Amino acid sequence: MSQVQSEPSTHNNLRPAFMTPQKLLPVEKCSLGCPILDCCMGGGIPCNSITEIVAESGSGKTQLCLQLSLRAQLPPFLGGLSASSLYLYTEFPFPTRRLHQLSSSLQCQYPQIFASNYDPCDSIFLQSVNTADQLLDIMPQVESFLENSKTRLPVRVIVIDSMAALFRAEFENTASDLIRRSSLFFKISGKLKEFAKRFNLVVLVTNQVMDVVDSGEGVNEVRIGNLSGMYSSGRRVCPALGLSWANCVNSRLFLSKDEYESGLVGGGESGFLSRETRRRLHVVFAPHLPDLSCEFVIRREGVVGVNR
Amino acid sequence: MDGLDGSNAILQQEQQQQSLNPKDWIVAAHHLHLFVTTDPQNAWDLLHEERSLMTRLTTSCADLDDILGGGISCKQVTEIGGVPGIGKTQLGIQLAVNVQMPSYCGGLGGKAIYIDTEGSFMGERAQEIAEACVEDISEYKRFLHKDLQACQGEIHGKDVLQNIYFFRICSYTEQIALINYLEEFISDHKDVKIVIIDSVAFHFRQGFEDLALRTRILGEMALKLVKLAKMCNLAVTNICSLYCRFLSYILSMLTTYLIRHFLLFKVVLLNQVTTRYMEGSFQLSFSLGDSWSRWCTNRIILYWNRNERYAYIDKSPYLRPAAAPYSVTARGIRNSAPHCKRSKLV
Repeated sequence: MSQVQSEPSTHNNLRPAFMTPQKLLPVEKCSLGCPILDCCMGGGIPCNSITEIVAESGSGKTQLCLQLSLRAQLPPFLGGLSASSLYLYTEFPFPTRRLHQLSSSLQCQYPQIFASNYDPCDSIFLQSVNTADQLLDIMPQVESFLENSKTRLPVRVIVIDSMAALFRAEFENTASDLIRRSSLFFKISGKLKEFAKRFNLVVLVTNQVMDVVDSGEGVNEVRIGNLSGMYSSGRRVCPALGLSWANCVNSRLFLSKDEYESGLVGGGESGFLSRETRRRLHVVFAPHLPDLSCEFVIRREGVVGVNR
Repeated sequence: MDGLDGSNAILQQEQQQQSLNPKDWIVAAHHLHLFVTTDPQNAWDLLHEERSLMTRLTTSCADLDDILGGGISCKQVTEIGGVPGIGKTQLGIQLAVNVQMPSYCGGLGGKAIYIDTEGSFMGERAQEIAEACVEDISEYKRFLHKDLQACQGEIHGKDVLQNIYFFRICSYTEQIALINYLEEFISDHKDVKIVIIDSVAFHFRQGFEDLALRTRILGEMALKLVKLAKMCNLAVTNICSLYCRFLSYILSMLTTYLIRHFLLFKVVLLNQVTTRYMEGSFQLSFSLGDSWSRWCTNRIILYWNRNERYAYIDKSPYLRPAAAPYSVTARGIRNSAPHCKRSKLV
């Protein structure tokens, strides 16, 4: 009855093959290595799908990206994909030191997986991207890299950190620029989705937030997803890149952080106010996830969820 | 053949709109009768057809079914639009599952074609919805119709997924190719009762600076559906050429009419929304522009109202505009329970 979708050639394939959704089961997922975070995301970041992380700077977007690209190298029974990753970064500098730190703690955690002479960082391929057009231009190279990778582990993760940095500087707020911009969004995400399907990839992109300026007559913006308002650091924010980009991703996660005073340390006159940051991960929308959120902390060994 | 009955129904429907001079309709009706094939029908056929014309596919949300007159109507093109995360894909999956349910549960006992252009269809979610649906049915059977259990075979969640023909489309050329191929596919799989395209817009929003070209391609795609229907019987072909001399907007009606005759199936399109610059301000509107919207008979907009999801009938030839709340639960699309406590924390 059912047949697996044959090797797709986008232009010559005049008879698209169907399959039944059972072929899509089980959905492969890449674990983040923390049961609480994984539970919030239904087992990890799904393959064959674009997942977006939206947050203000310093909330842990890049941390999660680094963690995912390291964890993907673990074998499936440890929640990974046995895969290397392609990391496209647009914000400089690339956090090399932090990557090494995370990589060595992963090595300590699983000494049986990583031989002593092998560095997990070797399976993360870095590429800097400066403009949106450049990102589109390197897509054929990315494709051939995915196709004939001579890497130790097949490439099955693409991280773009961050998408917003490419678009926020270059484009004016004029109608023609906005049209060009949204057309680029759809081209890029169309390519990424094609790769995600062909190579069963995890695609993780990050996005920044903008402050919502209240004009006094209620907030005039379109609500997208489960949260009626996104708050981070006490300010109301909304994801950058607008509605048309929101149409390009399959799932969106939001990281919020809030600082609050946890009390006096030391006591008396000499005591100082200690501040604590509470971070939460929210599912804004995802085709397979309910409206969930969980609290997390960023530790030396990575991002971990906490039950509170 | 269902030509006669169907044409009367669409005439009645369009008369309700009072968009044309009644005199024109008499002429049109006259011509219709000339072209309709004259296979004799017995009373049983007529009754059966009348029933099938009334068929509605439940959305599993009673409030939504209410405003839709019992569910998504058969033999029509229905377009559903909304912001990301509002539940378009969820509704699509729900319909693909519901269509397989027996008719006493609001289904059609058929199969589904699901065309995914965005990659948002998740197997595990479909399984979840299918299992919940199968559970509900067995519950319903136990509650009401004990005798039905004997004649109806048990449905399993696994079978439900087997009966969804799933296409994943990665470019607009593929999308057009698939529309061309559907004709052949559906004639091989006659039990297909619903075609869901999620979303029709995605691939047509990239790189079409030339909007005239896009309009042409979209028009071609819609016409392919017309052509698809044409092969059904000769009558339809002739009616097509006749109608084309009428006002151009009738084309959308025509698509409806032709699809109506074609295997009694319905097409559900899931569309994206976009902002459009109108009268000095940006407003939310459907993607692909007005020329596309002609092709759709029914249009449902999904939106947020405070913390509740609402569906609004924006365009329909026979339903009055109305809105109803719904919710997306773990079991699928359901009624919106007032003051429901949602688990926020893990």
